[in-house]
This record gives sequence, structure tokens and C-alpha cells, in this order.
Amino acid sequence: MTAAASQKQGSAQAQSRNGGSLWLRVLDPGERTLALLLLAPTALLLALIIVYPVGRLIWTSVHTLSLTSGAPAVFSGLENYQLMLEDPVFWETTRNTVLITLITVPGALVVGLCLALMANLPFRAKWPVRLSLLIPWALPLSFAGLIFAWFFHSEYGVVNDVLRRIGLPGVIWFNSAGWAFAAICLTIIWKTSSFMALIILAGLQTIPRSLYEAADVDGAGRLRQFWEITLPLLRPSIVVALIFRTITALQTFDIPFTMTRGGPGTATATLAMYIHQNTVDFLDLGYGSALAVVMFALSMIVTALYLRMIRARG
Amino acid sequence: MISKRALAVLLAGFAIGSPLTASAQTQLRAFVSSQHRPDVWRKAFDLYEARNPGIKVGLETGGNTSDAQAQYLNTVMTAKDTSLDVLILDVIRPAQYAAAGWTVPFNEVIGSDTAAYMQRYLPAYAEANTIDGKVVALPAFADAMFLYYRKDLLEKHGVNPPQNWDELAVSAKKILGAEKSENLQGLSFQGKAIEGAVCTFLLPYWSMGKQLVSNGKLSFDRDTAVKSLKLWKDFADQGVAKKNIAEVATDDTRKEFQAGNVVFAVNWSYAWGQFQGPESAVKDKVGVVKLPAVAGGSSVSCLGGWEWGVSTYSKNKTEAQKFVQFLSSPEISKFMAINAALLPQFPDVYADAEVVKAVPWFAQARAVVDTAKSRPVTPRYNEVSEIVRTTVNAVLAGTVTPEQGADQMEGRLRRVLR
Repeated sequence: MTAAASQKQGSAQAQSRNGGSLWLRVLDPGERTLALLLLAPTALLLALIIVYPVGRLIWTSVHTLSLTSGAPAVFSGLENYQLMLEDPVFWETTRNTVLITLITVPGALVVGLCLALMANLPFRAKWPVRLSLLIPWALPLSFAGLIFAWFFHSEYGVVNDVLRRIGLPGVIWFNSAGWAFAAICLTIIWKTSSFMALIILAGLQTIPRSLYEAADVDGAGRLRQFWEITLPLLRPSIVVALIFRTITALQTFDIPFTMTRGGPGTATATLAMYIHQNTVDFLDLGYGSALAVVMFALSMIVTALYLRMIRARG
Repeated sequence: MISKRALAVLLAGFAIGSPLTASAQTQLRAFVSSQHRPDVWRKAFDLYEARNPGIKVGLETGGNTSDAQAQYLNTVMTAKDTSLDVLILDVIRPAQYAAAGWTVPFNEVIGSDTAAYMQRYLPAYAEANTIDGKVVALPAFADAMFLYYRKDLLEKHGVNPPQNWDELAVSAKKILGAEKSENLQGLSFQGKAIEGAVCTFLLPYWSMGKQLVSNGKLSFDRDTAVKSLKLWKDFADQGVAKKNIAEVATDDTRKEFQAGNVVFAVNWSYAWGQFQGPESAVKDKVGVVKLPAVAGGSSVSCLGGWEWGVSTYSKNKTEAQKFVQFLSSPEISKFMAINAALLPQFPDVYADAEVVKAVPWFAQARAVVDTAKSRPVTPRYNEVSEIVRTTVNAVLAGTVTPEQGADQMEGRLRRVLR
């Protein structure tokens, strides 16, 4: 056996030893590797259903792509965004979306908080109260929109009927920008406050009785107890409810779509409806994607703000 | 054992039989709008099957408005679905479908003289279906907007059908004042943001001799647009039309007139059959004439009607086109006029003795269809339509003034029709 050959043999042995440890490593991975391995399927799935579509959306938004032209996608840089800035309907729908968010989120919070406090009272029969809280939440959004469109109908609607019975003149709700907007906001608040109430109710039930008993002993009144105990301890539930509600409010589509189709004119159209119109009705995928990118960014900013708020408050 | 053998025989039968039947039978599938009597179209399809034993035609229907059907077909075409061969299209869409490459031209099937072939139709339909010399679809039937009126009420108050919109306002006020009925409206038209509202805007605009689009370019006349919007808004403000006219869609106009609550109504030809139906409160009390003009202008109507196109994704394009040629023939036009009261796309069919006997008012309809104008022909029609109808709706709701509305409309249209 020559020296070279023995060296070769040695290295082969070392290799097989290495190979063995590789196997060992796969079979008995360190914690870090294990974590990566276990996360991989989820990461892949997320990449497929979130990263790819979002990437594709951004790609489309910098192209001119209209299916009605029959032409292939052409790179157009920021042209779609440029068009958007000059588009009065984009600004109007964005303003409407922000207004709906600013009105209905606090509105639903206040109504939801009241509902939750009422549902938390020591009723003898709790289930009818809880059930009536659940129903608006369980109803599909478009159904709620259609039902309320009838409620607010100027001739056959129950709202005008009640107004006339108490001696007030009826209102042609969908014939004026302001009233139509009000009707939509009322509907959204009705529809979403039960979701707020459910989350807040869950939060209420985690507050120990003993705190209230101690406050009673110290002579704090009901209102004081609410401000000093209930509200501070509810903060985490309220923030969670607010995050969910704000994001869905920014994406408002179903209720105005079924109630007014954005009318009169474009006075109650939201950004989500404008995206739908550009992509589905006009088949202008480039412009529609650019609008969707803006809405995506808007949602991300709001979420980031909330998350920062939670972290800041500890 | 027997069952196994039977299965083998069956499989062999399929293996041999299927290519044979495929070559002998051509299966076509046609989409028909549900509001245009698919039951009667089915009979026309049966006739074609009887004459062409190798061909079977399936009928698909869906949606109850032009908008809903357009949305469905948009999905089918963008998915390059091969299941539909023949499509019925609202007159505003053939141009759009041709630009998107969704329909195949008929020039080859028609042969050398396409001009002569198309000249058989009413000129408006020859024009609407020919784009850059290509015949992109063939007319299925004609339609236009008319002025319906209550014959009994006009006679009672000694009023003649109006020649212009001012006369209509005067007559309506006179009748409303004398009848003193809270439910009675002077005039019903389409103010909701639907396709019909595009025609609402264009009727007075055209009547004043202006065009919205000329040679593919926007030719917007602001003053005319303001006058048109103001005309409709005044009807609402003066109490001739009802206050919530911005909520009224085409079929609302039809229903309210049919219930006896309207003196004058702007509507398509389909309403006539319904007014004469068993559920109508105005049976035999309805007159129909051409639409009023703007004082000093000419009477125009909005061109409706539907066209047959053949899908680019069809696997039997030639067979489908031959079938469409049959559907768009004088024979079927007459059949549909008599059995479904659809207005003919051929001038001669209006004079046909059997047609005149079945639907006498078609004799007057011919002149209206002749003066009807096409809505703008552009591949981006959906956007043009949306801009016009939301503006009409906003003005009628009082959200913007006619002047603001005209400015907004112009600004937005300039973006689309550059």
C-alpha cells in the first residue's frame, strides 16, 4: 500500500464519518434547524398564497394591461400611479373610505361597548341577549346591505314609515349624498358593533369580581369603577377589536355596493368598489392593480400604527 | 363474468363509437339574454337542428340585465372558455368585443360582397356591426326608445301627444293639476345610474344636433350637455317627474306606468307587450309615439337591439357562424317579430302582412328605429357609460348642479377618450 493510497482511504473514511453525521444531523437536528424545517411548509404556503399574489399585483400595477384592448401587458413605470393622482374619482372614493372608517369605527366601538356592558349584566336568561348579539355579526354583509336598502327605501321603507308616524317628513335617503352616506354608516355600525361587543364581552369576563368589591369597600361609585377598572382592563380587547374593525372598514365594499352602488353619482363609492369596477367591469387590470396597491399600503400603515400603539403602552 | 363481458363490449363500443359520433355531430352552445324570450329563440334553434341533422344547439341563459350579462360574459371570455360558441350581445358591445379579440369576423363566411350583405339590414345595424371593414357580429333584432302615453288621459283633457319636451311639461302639468291624484306622475324616465341613464343624457344632447364622440375622439359640447342635464333636472324640480327619479331604473318606469301611475314614459319596445298583458292596469289605454325633441331640434331615439357574435375560443367557428347567419336571416326576424314581439332588423319585415297583423304598432316603430342613434362606439365603452350615467344620477339627486356635472363629465371623459 502506497502512502497516497492510504491517504485516499483515510479521506474516504473521514467522508463516510462526515456523511454519517449529516444523517445524524437530519435525524436529530439542532433546535434551530428543527424550527426551520417545521416552519418551511407554512412559509412555502404563505409564499404561494400571499407573497406571489402581492408580488404579481405590484408587477401588474406598473404595466398597462387592459383585457378589452386585446394587447399584451406593456411596462409603463409609474404611469398608472400618475393617472391615479389626477383622477377625481380616486380621491373621492378614498375620501369616502377614510370618512366611513372615521365614523363607523368609533361608532361601532361605542355601541359595541354599551351592548357588551348590557350583555354582561346579571340577567336571568342570558342566551337571548347573547343570541341577539350574534345575529347581526353572523349575517352576511351583502344581506345586511340589501335588508337595509329596503329599510331606507323612500316609499316602502320602514324608516320613513316611522318618521311619518311621529310627524316628521320622510327622507329620500338615496337621493342625496349626505343622507345616503348616513344610511350606509348607520348600517355598517349596526352590522359591526356586535363583533366589537363580542370581543369586549370576552374581555369583560376576564376582569376579576374582587376588584369591584374592593372598589365598593373604598367607596368608589359605579361611574368611577367604570373609568378606573373596567376601561383600563379592557384596553387590550378594545385594541384588538379596533385593529380588526379598522382594517375591514378600510376595505368596505359589500354594504355600499348593495345599498347604493356608490350613488348618487359617486358620492358613496369606496376605494374597494372603485378597484372592483376597474378590474371587473372595465377589465383595466393595470390601473385596478395600482389602486389595490394603494389600499394595501393604507391597510399596512394603519396596522403598523396600531401595533406601535400596543407596544408603546406595553 | 357476464357483467365483465358487457363492460368490455361497452368500452369497445365507446372506443369505436365516440370518434364516429364526434365527426357526425357538431355540438354548438349559444348564450341568450333571459329578458329576450329564450323560449322562442329555442324554437328557432329547433328549426335549424331539423334542417341540419348533423348539428345540435344547446341554449344557455342568465342574468336579467345587460350589465349583469356583460359581467358574466367578461368572465367567460377572459378565461378563454371554449364552452360557448355563439353569444348575444347588446348593441354597444360588438366594438368592444372586436377590440379585445373575443369574436371572429364574418367576412370569410359571407364571401366577397360584405357591403351588399350588410345593406340588407337597417343602416344603423350595418354600421354598428362593421368595424374597419370587418363584420364583427350580425344583428339579432332591433330596438329603440319610445314615448309611451296614456291615451285615455290625453283624450280626456284634450291634449295631443307632445312634439317637444316643453310641450310635454305643459301637458303633464295640465293633466296632473286636473286629476289631483297623489300617485300620478307626469313623466317617468331612467335616472338611476344604469345603462339606460346613458340614453337619458344623450336623447336631448343628440336632439340639439351634437355628438359625444366623432371619429373615435371626444367631441363634447359643454353648453349642450348642461342643457340636457338641466332639462331632466327641471322635470324633477317642477314636479313633472317624481322627486326620487334618481332611483328609477328601466323596469321601474315600466312597472309604474303599467300600474296606471304615469302619464308619459320613456322606455324601450319591450314595455309595449307588458302593457297589453293580463296584469296591466292600462291595457288598451296606451299610445306610443316617437320621442319629443328639444324645442327647435329634431326627434331622435337611442338605438338598442342585440347582435349575434361568435367566440374566438369556439372549437366550431365556421359551423357557429353559419348558424348565426341563419338566426340573423329575414325568416327568423319575421318569426321572432310574430312570436316574441322583437323589432325586426330588416326594413322589409316591418311591412310583412303577417307581422303587421300580429304586432300592428310595428308600422309606426319603423320610423323611430330609423332615426335612432348609436351610443358612442369605443372599446372603452364601459368606462364612458359609467361616467355618463353616474353624472346623470348625481345631477338628478342634486349632489351637483348641471354645470358642475357637465364639467365633471368632460374631465373624466377626456381621460378615457384621449
